[in-house]
Order: sequence, then C-alpha cells, then structure tokens
Amino acid sequence: MITLEHYLALSAMIFTLGLCGVMMRRNVILVLMSIEIMLNAANLALVAFNKHMIPAADGSVGPDGQVMVFFTIAVAAAEVAVALVIAMLLFRRLDTVSVDDVANLRW
Amino acid sequence: MDPVLFYMFAAGMVLFTLLTISSRNPVYSAIFMILSFASTAGLFVLLDAFLLAVVEVLVYAGAIMVLFLFVIMLINLRTEEQEGLRLNPLAILAAGTFLALMSRALGDLGPAVTSLPNELQGSPDLIAETLFTRYVVPFEAISMLLLAAILGTVVLARRSKDA
Repeated sequence: MITLEHYLALSAMIFTLGLCGVMMRRNVILVLMSIEIMLNAANLALVAFNKHMIPAADGSVGPDGQVMVFFTIAVAAAEVAVALVIAMLLFRRLDTVSVDDVANLRW
Repeated sequence: MDPVLFYMFAAGMVLFTLLTISSRNPVYSAIFMILSFASTAGLFVLLDAFLLAVVEVLVYAGAIMVLFLFVIMLINLRTEEQEGLRLNPLAILAAGTFLALMSRALGDLGPAVTSLPNELQGSPDLIAETLFTRYVVPFEAISMLLLAAILGTVVLARRSKDA
C-alpha cells in the first residue's frame, strides 16, 4: 500500500537533489534546471496532498491542489523564459556562463 | 500493481534527477531532465491527476526543455568549461540538514488520511470549474505575469543587439 508518506519522502528527496544542484553546479543553465527540479518536487507534494485531502462536509474533494500546480507550472515557464535570456546576455557580454566569474556586484 | 508502478516511477525519477545534476554535458542533463519529468507525469497518473500528467509532459518536457536546449545550443560551451558536481562540504552539510529536517517533519505527520478512489478529481471539467470560479483572480494575475515575462524577454533580447 502506497501512502502519502511515500510521495512526501520522494518529494523531499528530489527537492534535496535540486538543492545540491543549485549549490554544487557552476553552470548558470544547470542552476536554473536545478531550480526547475525543486519546483517539480513541490508540485509532486501538492498533488499527493490533494489526493489525500480530507473531504468536505458533503463528501466531495476539490482539485484545489491540482489547480495550485497549474499556477506553479505557469510561473516556472515565465521564470525560465526571462532567466534564460539573462543567461544569454551574460554569455554575450562576459563570454562565460559560470556563476563564479560573474561577481561584479560582490562587495 | 500500484506499488510496483510507484516504485518504478520513483526510482526513475531519483535516478534521472541524479543524472541531470551530475552530467558534465548540459545537453545530456536536459535529456535526463525530460525523462525525470516523464516519470513525474507517471506518478501524477497514479495520483489520479490525469490532466496534470498531460500538462506536465506538454509544458515541462515539451516547451520548457526545448527552451533550455535552444539556449544550450546557442551558448555552445567549450569542452574544457564543462564540469560535473563540485563537492563542497558546506553544500553537503546544508543538503543533509534539509533532508534531516524533512524526515523529522515526516515523522510528525498525523495519521494518514485514507485516499478515496476519486477519479473525478483530476478530470478536466472539475479542474476548469474550480479554476474559473474560486481561483479566477489568481488566474488573471497569472495571465498578467506571463504577459510581463513575454515583454521582458523581448526587451532584454532586443537591447543587447543595439549595444
């Protein structure tokens, strides 16, 4: 029997992998991909919670969690479009996509 | 049948995600990430979220990953600049702490609510009804956000041409 805990544990594992990717990769595109992985892990948790939601008084269970995932996917798409253009500009101006080399704003 | 499918998709998701973050070549990372999203879509089907499974494949594996691949091809990284995971003790500590916190939180989870067989929950008409009634204001806000993202992308890409 697969319970809610199984899905949440998987979601936490995937989120941790994404976190590792953000902290351990230097390529700005891979950092963006890792952020997408973390968003995806959160989506999985939302859908799992929705499936195991306590029904309302009339016994119905709404798809609120799934609607939330729709919004997350839309936000992720908008974020990726803008962030990838910034990565492109970075490469054109500085000829690098390594986050270590982009330290102009560091104090 | 259900547990077998769950463990299959879960193992695929973990494996492909691991390969995504550790591949030296960004193109391989993108391909593995598509497979990881496909496994997620399988898990969504197991959770009766049929419409979301389709959207996941269409938007994530289709649109977003094509965008990533385009930019990877445009940037065309030199081979000597490709590198895999850089193991940083502080990063490992942070990830380990997060995982420990999450497992502690999982232990505190109350008695699991039994999942009712509710195939209707993931059906397009029920989701559409909720989206256009209770969540109509966030829906409109999202449309403005997407418009702002499109305009921002065009403006950013254009200015660099003049410079």
